[in-house]
Amino acid sequence: MVRGTGQERLHRSIITATASITAAMTMTGALSACGLGGDTDSSSGPEDHVTIAAIYPKTGLYAEYGKMFQQGFDLAKDEINEKGGIKGKQLNIAYYDTQSDAKQDAAVAPKIASDKSVIAVVGDYSSPASSAASPIFQQAGLVHYGFNNSSPVFTKSGDHVWTPQIGDNTYQEVNADAVSKRAKKVSVVYLENDWGRESYRYFRQEAERRGLQIAYQSSYLPDSTDLTPILIPAKDAAPDAVVDIGYGPDGALILNTLRDKLGYKGPFFGGQETKEFLALTGANSQDTIITGSFSATGTKDNKAQAFVKSFEKRYHTVPGNFEVTSYQAIMDLAHAGEKTSPTRQGIQEALKTADDFPLYQGNGGTFRFNTRTRRADEIKPILLQVDKGKFKQIEE
Amino acid sequence: MSPSMIETLFSGLIHGGVYALVAVGMSLVFGVTNVANFAQGSLVAVGMMTAWWVGSSLGWGLIPTLLAVILVTGLVGLVMSLLVITPLEGRQPIAALLGTVGVGQVLDNGMQLIFGSQTRPFPELLPTHNLHALGIRFGTSDLVMSLVALVSMAVLWGFLTYGKDGQAIRATSQDSQAAKQMGVPVTSIRTLAFVIGSVLAGIAGIFIGLFKTNINPMDGGAIGMTAFVAAAIGGLGSIPGAIVGGLVLGLAEAVGVGFFGDGVHDLITFGTLLLVLILRPSGFMGSKANLHNEPMAGTFLEAARPIRLPHWANPGLAAAALATPFFFSDHLSGIGTQVTIYAIAAVGLTLISGSAGQTILGLAGPVAVGAYASALLTMRLHWPFAVSLLGAAIIAALAASLLTFPVWKLSGHYVAIATIGVGAVMVAIIRIWEPLTRGSLGLQGIPLPTFLGRPLYTQQMQYLLDLVILLLALLVVSSIQSSHLGHVFESIGEDTQAAQSLGIRTGAYKALAYALASGLAGIAGALLAHQYTYIDPTLFNPVMSSLILTIVVLGGMKSPTGAVIGSLILVGAPELLRILPEVRIMAYGLLLVIFIIWRPQGIFSTRRRAS
Repeated sequence: MVRGTGQERLHRSIITATASITAAMTMTGALSACGLGGDTDSSSGPEDHVTIAAIYPKTGLYAEYGKMFQQGFDLAKDEINEKGGIKGKQLNIAYYDTQSDAKQDAAVAPKIASDKSVIAVVGDYSSPASSAASPIFQQAGLVHYGFNNSSPVFTKSGDHVWTPQIGDNTYQEVNADAVSKRAKKVSVVYLENDWGRESYRYFRQEAERRGLQIAYQSSYLPDSTDLTPILIPAKDAAPDAVVDIGYGPDGALILNTLRDKLGYKGPFFGGQETKEFLALTGANSQDTIITGSFSATGTKDNKAQAFVKSFEKRYHTVPGNFEVTSYQAIMDLAHAGEKTSPTRQGIQEALKTADDFPLYQGNGGTFRFNTRTRRADEIKPILLQVDKGKFKQIEE
Repeated sequence: MSPSMIETLFSGLIHGGVYALVAVGMSLVFGVTNVANFAQGSLVAVGMMTAWWVGSSLGWGLIPTLLAVILVTGLVGLVMSLLVITPLEGRQPIAALLGTVGVGQVLDNGMQLIFGSQTRPFPELLPTHNLHALGIRFGTSDLVMSLVALVSMAVLWGFLTYGKDGQAIRATSQDSQAAKQMGVPVTSIRTLAFVIGSVLAGIAGIFIGLFKTNINPMDGGAIGMTAFVAAAIGGLGSIPGAIVGGLVLGLAEAVGVGFFGDGVHDLITFGTLLLVLILRPSGFMGSKANLHNEPMAGTFLEAARPIRLPHWANPGLAAAALATPFFFSDHLSGIGTQVTIYAIAAVGLTLISGSAGQTILGLAGPVAVGAYASALLTMRLHWPFAVSLLGAAIIAALAASLLTFPVWKLSGHYVAIATIGVGAVMVAIIRIWEPLTRGSLGLQGIPLPTFLGRPLYTQQMQYLLDLVILLLALLVVSSIQSSHLGHVFESIGEDTQAAQSLGIRTGAYKALAYALASGLAGIAGALLAHQYTYIDPTLFNPVMSSLILTIVVLGGMKSPTGAVIGSLILVGAPELLRILPEVRIMAYGLLLVIFIIWRPQGIFSTRRRAS
């Protein structure tokens, strides 16, 4: 017999496998001295610098947001170091490009966690990507400061996971309030993702409480290129206003379709406080109302005005929501390090106890965290209205 | 008909026209070169960005812009054809397909580097909203676009019917061997068709820019995928079919989305694809004659067989692999978990795509089902991890078999295309089935994997678990391959018709191979879910599907060990390329192209001599 039958070969390979697993087990025993416990602490005494790691999309679909984040981070870092660092230690930011892709976040997180100079992590852009990394930071006792992650479940991954993002419920309360003062009946479209769904749920609740009627609603996928089919019935419902709960480019698509293709002339609530949104919509954006968190021109807070000034000086452009939240993230963590110590434990401790984190968004001043939810309930959104291609803060 | 219905249908027609423009180029290239050009969308984006640059920065008008776009996309097409398509001629069309995937990545990321990442307004080369009729607003741009679509189709038809080169193109597409014998310079003709296809993509880019009004250098991927679906609905290789397919898809989307909202957009797009293929197995206008050469199946196997290692090597390598978690750092173990999980999914694919010779393009679907099944079983029913893992495998296999059931009666590359649809429909159902899956909100707080009740909380522990499962998967798959069942799979892969004439029910066996592959994909999904502790439908995207297929092709389709090597390269490389953050993903695309040109039969395969 030259070749074994299938069955014999099956037996042979089972034997081979058993042998290999046994061999492996033996090696396992031999090697278990090295253990599976993870990297051991090999801190080599005091160093002259500390690091904040940034996981963010430098390339890929979300690279535009990554660019804005990096501007905010770099500016904050340089300002902190000019003033002598955190308790005398220079601050360093280690950048990790993830494309906001969960697979890459999960792969790079252990590297960050094992770098002992890292005292906290900021990012990522999207909640799913951030959440793939959270358990690893949680395990390492490292604060994961997801400054852009408004998802209501984001901080539930563990007690080291924090976010200063304004909660979706707070946002939509202000949004629904502003809408209800200007309309009785609205059509609502919202982004089909974790954030959009949750936001719409809160918006609907708040609308009901205020007697605001929702005549038409539909979600839309982030990569849809033509939203005419949902905007036709949205317009046909004869609403007093159209509300969009989404981001910038999709908000621009909706507004342009409504105005240019469908000839809708009524009020529009939505879009994003970015230059991109203004550039994409042009004259169509006139009078658009946006519930936002920052107004470069309207802020009355001294330190926020100083931030706008130095931002303009360095980058020759006006900062928006993403630039200010990323800047503030670094400032918050540096503040935490000053309060206690620029170490992993120190940052975690300060986030729990400090009650005067510098606030650049909204109406400025300071804020503290709700230690139960690890979110900042006190930060309130503001209302912005577009006038002649600029965002103006409006008071209710 | 109500005015708003007319408005909806009209918008569907215009959007369908946009799909059709891209699909025509895709179908032409496919018909002549047998290459499904997955960079077609990126070529559209090249045209779009060129038009944006000369139209807005330099302020050129429509005609000079058009000429510039023709020149640039023609050149890019020529270079691509000479460097990537021609060297792979006569080789496995799937190698060329993956070559185009790599080129697409280089183009997308290159444009982002050149033009920046922001979304920007497209210059109004033609008025877009200046006309009114029947209560509908439209623009000169829409009229010109329809005209261009019709004219380019007519010119193309005339060229293919009466032109000397056109006749050569058709001859090549019908039978390249015969054409060669008749003195047709087949290689140059293929290049010509490829360049024409690229120029068509570039021209489509201008009109898509006008239609969308806001554009981004990364828009190409989504455009290419939908155009591919449109071309498949119309019948791949048929140019009138591409137009019909585009219009049908545009109308179906407009009406469906108008009724049910845009949240079900994917379900409508890919559901339409599946429905059309089930009712008309070669699309609306595809020719039956095309089905015999299976450009995405089988051919890869003729020339390749896996490299066999000496018998002591496998246990040795296994033992060495199992030792790595004990001295790997957190970082290396973290990469290790991703590499092994993707390898587990890919190893299963060697059964269906390697042995049974059936390319599967939608494996992210079963991965998603496995991830959700295991997460829900542990969270809702509190099943232990090990049992949930098995449950995930069974549920993924069942769900995949059920949804793919009607697909196996299709033939040739349409099965591969249909699996894209099945994968997308699975994820769409997960998104819509909110009471069970929490839809877009995602599942959070999925428990960590456990062993004997203890959570595996370090990277090393999880990596070890993944490795053990990978080795078991390798064992199961290679045992199947050398069993009677494996020989049946192989006979189907080598010659479906011969197998059929021996009384083998090829459809049923392909379904079985796919179910096995889906089961392993489900296990990979479950491992991902428990290690990330958070999942939502966006994780299981077409990028994941094509990554898994690429791993198998790169490794050597029939070789389970090759799949591990493929995963090591394709999942590991982006991490190792972190030294070049700016061009990391571009370098990755380039690496993929180079590997495929270097070893089109797969890294871990030798080329079999013709007997």
